[in-house]
Amino acid sequence: MQLPNSLVIATKALRRNKMQTALTMIGMMIGVATVLTMIALGTGAQNAIQDQVKAAGMNMLVVTAGNYQVKKEKPPDDAIEMSQRRNPEKGMRPHLQFVMFHPEDDPFAVHDHPVAKQRLGDSEAGLGAAATLSLDDAAMIRAVPGVQYAVEGIHENVHVGYGDTRWFTRVHGDGSSLPEVRRSWKFVHGGFYSERQERNKEQVIVLGSVVAEKLFGADNPVGRTVTLWKQPFKVEGVVTSSSWMVVPEAGDDQFDAVYIPVTTMQSLLNLSKLNDITVTTKSTGDVSRVAKTITPMLRQRHNIGANQADDFTVTTQASKSLMKGSLRPDVAQAVIGNVSGLEKVTLDQLGKTLDRSSRTMTALLGGIATVSLIVGGIGIMNIMMLSVTERTREIGIRRSVGAREHEVLMQFIYESVILSVVGGLLGIVIGVIASSAISHSVQWSTSISPMAIALSFGVSAAVGIFFGYYPAREASRVAPLKSLRFE
Amino acid sequence: MEPVISVRNLTKTYHVGEHQVNALRSISMDVHKGEFVSVIGPSGSGKSTLMHILGCLDQPTSGQYFLDGRDVSRLSDDDISLVRNEQIGFVFQGFNLLTRTSALENVELPLLYGKSNISAAERKKRAMAALDSVGLGARYDHHTNQLSGGQQQRVAIARALLNNPSILLADEPTGNLDSKTSIEVMDIFQALQRDRGITIVLITHEMDVAAYGSRIVSFKDGNILSDVSNESRRHAGGELQEFPAVVN
Repeated sequence: MQLPNSLVIATKALRRNKMQTALTMIGMMIGVATVLTMIALGTGAQNAIQDQVKAAGMNMLVVTAGNYQVKKEKPPDDAIEMSQRRNPEKGMRPHLQFVMFHPEDDPFAVHDHPVAKQRLGDSEAGLGAAATLSLDDAAMIRAVPGVQYAVEGIHENVHVGYGDTRWFTRVHGDGSSLPEVRRSWKFVHGGFYSERQERNKEQVIVLGSVVAEKLFGADNPVGRTVTLWKQPFKVEGVVTSSSWMVVPEAGDDQFDAVYIPVTTMQSLLNLSKLNDITVTTKSTGDVSRVAKTITPMLRQRHNIGANQADDFTVTTQASKSLMKGSLRPDVAQAVIGNVSGLEKVTLDQLGKTLDRSSRTMTALLGGIATVSLIVGGIGIMNIMMLSVTERTREIGIRRSVGAREHEVLMQFIYESVILSVVGGLLGIVIGVIASSAISHSVQWSTSISPMAIALSFGVSAAVGIFFGYYPAREASRVAPLKSLRFE
Repeated sequence: MEPVISVRNLTKTYHVGEHQVNALRSISMDVHKGEFVSVIGPSGSGKSTLMHILGCLDQPTSGQYFLDGRDVSRLSDDDISLVRNEQIGFVFQGFNLLTRTSALENVELPLLYGKSNISAAERKKRAMAALDSVGLGARYDHHTNQLSGGQQQRVAIARALLNNPSILLADEPTGNLDSKTSIEVMDIFQALQRDRGITIVLITHEMDVAAYGSRIVSFKDGNILSDVSNESRRHAGGELQEFPAVVN
């Protein structure tokens, strides 16, 4: 295929002014590289936020042993039966409904002994003490359709020792699939313990990065032995946060912590129950359905009668965040109790918020990118304008040997397009390198999509044409005779 | 035989401020194929204006200019560019070569324009042949600043001849050259006229340069003063032999 003559001419002309060509290309290159890096950082941040939201557990629900919402106790044997008309939806025959009424619940009664609430304090709610969940419960939950992972959890405080150094921290006895649930995890050294090690109740341990740093400094602890409860544990790995939004620090529950197989913890501490089971669903929309399946299943397994309260709590992340949020606890509870499919609503809102914020981000980036490219384009225009003046004689020479106006125009347009496109391509290369360098050195997540590359390329070509056109037209309009006389 | 160049009642008027300058006052002349016409006159006599109009770099205020029988005085820019490309070869006082460009690329420049679409290999071949014909084949890859003035002017001549033009227009071609290289350049012109029958119009203000032509037209104040056949023509070839041999 034959290249257009104007393209050949433009290439030759650019080769004549190597320095100027190189400098202009560098200008364009820096512009495009900046734009691309910025887009990479922006989309990276956007993705990171989305990851965080996911990692925060949009598809997660936690089954906790005990039920602190229920303040009622099983009525004692001497409870007085009272006829009640309230609560019509609860039974088939409201007129014959019987409710067990505890004498202690009578607000007017004066008791000569501490009532159940005073005797038991919070322990009746089962936080920690009333451990009701078992490994078998976890296995059953795992078999529920739609469940991705179900990870057992026992949580204690412990002294971890290595040599003379001791560090007081949290120990989590967990199933081996925990890293699949914690999505913003990253292993600095080694990895998590295996399913086989969990089955064999091996004394293996994974350190949070804070613990590893307290005990080992910068050394790689994998293969060393630390002690918990005077028992040796072999270090399998060190885990830290993969997200720049979560920085491991002393006192946090994830990285100032150690992880051992739940089976090992149970046998060493002579426990048979679990504190909680963390469940993830395959899709985020499935959370409510899975929660609704789990509740009756566990009730049945725990032999809870129809009019008895659960001895466990199923918390979805959405309701959890409501509880943790700025809402007053009673308001939050009312909301949780009365809005069915709450997590769906919240997910919806979250999704919308995300959409809005990413649109804002995109608009911001687009604005910055536009300004940079306009600056780059004006740079090209400036150079081309200068070179039209500077190269008047060259134009005259070309016209005298028969170049048409159109051919001079095309030469100058091609020149600026070559400048901007080659500069743009180099900029893309530099931008890709720069963003991967940034994500490696500062641990910021960056993301370069083929779309961003195509866009940068297209825009740099467009800049070349747009800002090259005016100087090129000026060049083509120089009268041949005038340009030959120009000294 | 029809003349190559035929101008009829050619006038050119410039406006400088409020003054009106009549550069050409109704000129009529013919140049026939194979002629070597020297146009002579002091500066301001209108000879350069004539040259620009003959070279289609400028258009006359009135009158007609027939080049190979075609009126080219009122053509569009595209058409006039094509005429320059195919029918006219220029040699300028200041050489007008592209700087920082090799001799070869300078010579092949006309082939990049115009109607014909010539391959890069063919361009190079024809440019090499043209350079060979002016004795610069060995220096094809030299940049213009690596060449002497005489060599540069020969590159310009090679470029002017590349498309086999109807006329070769030379505007003070020896103005920037020393006497020996001037004679060398004139030798090339005379050889082109003699061997290839090329029509040459040479503009100069020096009588001894004009004397190389076969016909001398002298200008004054925009009018033709005299138009005579040159009886005492100088021959550059013979004069060169009288110069002591110097390594080129």
